[in-house]
Amino acid sequence: MGVFVFLPLVLPLTALPIARLTEQHLHPRGAARLLTAISIVMALCSAVCLALIGVVGTAQIPGNPLPDSWSDPEVRAALPYHESVGTAALLVLAAVLLALGRTLTRHLRIRARARRALGRALPASSDVALLPDPEPYAYALPGSPRSPGRVVVSTGMLAGLAEDERAALLAHERAHLTHRHHRHLLATQLAGCVNPFLRPLQRAVAYSAERWADEESAQAVGDRRVTARAVARAALASHRPPAAYAAFPAFAAPGPVPRRVAALLGPVPTARNWPPAHTPAGLAALVAALGTAASALSALNAAVALLLVLKAVTPL
Amino acid sequence: MAEDTAEETHAPVAGDPRGRRRGQGELEAQVLAVLQRAPGPVTAGWVQERLDGDLAYTTVMTILSRLHAKDAVTRTRSGRSYLWQASSDAAGLAALRMRRVLDGEPDRDAVLASFVTALLPHDEELLRTLLDGACAPAPDPEG
Repeated sequence: MGVFVFLPLVLPLTALPIARLTEQHLHPRGAARLLTAISIVMALCSAVCLALIGVVGTAQIPGNPLPDSWSDPEVRAALPYHESVGTAALLVLAAVLLALGRTLTRHLRIRARARRALGRALPASSDVALLPDPEPYAYALPGSPRSPGRVVVSTGMLAGLAEDERAALLAHERAHLTHRHHRHLLATQLAGCVNPFLRPLQRAVAYSAERWADEESAQAVGDRRVTARAVARAALASHRPPAAYAAFPAFAAPGPVPRRVAALLGPVPTARNWPPAHTPAGLAALVAALGTAASALSALNAAVALLLVLKAVTPL
Repeated sequence: MAEDTAEETHAPVAGDPRGRRRGQGELEAQVLAVLQRAPGPVTAGWVQERLDGDLAYTTVMTILSRLHAKDAVTRTRSGRSYLWQASSDAAGLAALRMRRVLDGEPDRDAVLASFVTALLPHDEELLRTLLDGACAPAPDPEG
């Protein structure tokens, strides 16, 4: 097996081109779902791989609680540089678990704090919490078992929008809640903790979720240009000149907001998830799908192979 | 006794025994909590006595002024000073609490899906151009 056991850790590098291709060519709904699924599979493979390398690598260290057979020469042959690599893998695994715990608690804490802030003071009949605040903001606050999801929007945000644009904004936020986009965001964030190579997928899923909500909003208000205007106006209203970037004119590529507006002003994305294979878009999607499948399969294969080696040498 | 000049004087939070610098939001919440327990309109001195820690009178005044600017408290003139009362507006209080959450969590955008994310330097120009296009009369669908 040799170095192949490390494949699940490195293959997520393919996430970057996959994210690019998918984001550009698939319907945002399909892109968000596909990329989330890829993140989860690859993160699981990475975690299993780390754990196995750690276990096998440290099996021959005296005093460990593992079966003696796990330090057989055959098993050790599956892992190059077993001892140091195994110890390193366990350390990395500990760091990963720590990062996972921190991300999860931060996520839950922010949601709980936001829910507490709204309190029971606002009417429960409406899913919109309109807060009198000159600062423009709008958020989708996911629900909990005890309280439904809420759209939190400030008067400062609504003040900058026309009547039809407000409807577009509310439809956008409701789409986030209906389709539980926060789960996609959380899953990809956790995946990014397990393997940093998966971080591009996190950004791609966040963007696809926004695009998905934009499309739902456009459908709800019946005019894509209205949603486009709402996004553009809201972004300009909440814009503060970013001092941090001012020194880097090289970052001239358009950010996510103008891309969303441009997409809304463009043609409706095809409802089918798969563009026809003979078009450039279809070809790109096909390549992305094949690459994804190959990466996921190799990662899975390496993880399963390590498991099988261990199982074979474990006396029952 | 010119309370109005207390605006933004930033009197140092002297004598905090734990040496922990308390955030503005936390102080505002404490002052508001004291006001909500008050039997009626009270003076700034009354609030100061009931706050934990030795907050300077000017600090309490600064916080009260700030809360007033956010419509979280109301004040009425009584002789040479003001009487303060917590605003009963539930939505206003919720807004104040929500702002504290949003300002205190730098990573909130990763958790709560925000309607719009921050713009890059050239985005503003680009957006205005796009917006002009979106506001122009709709192209003839027949064409």
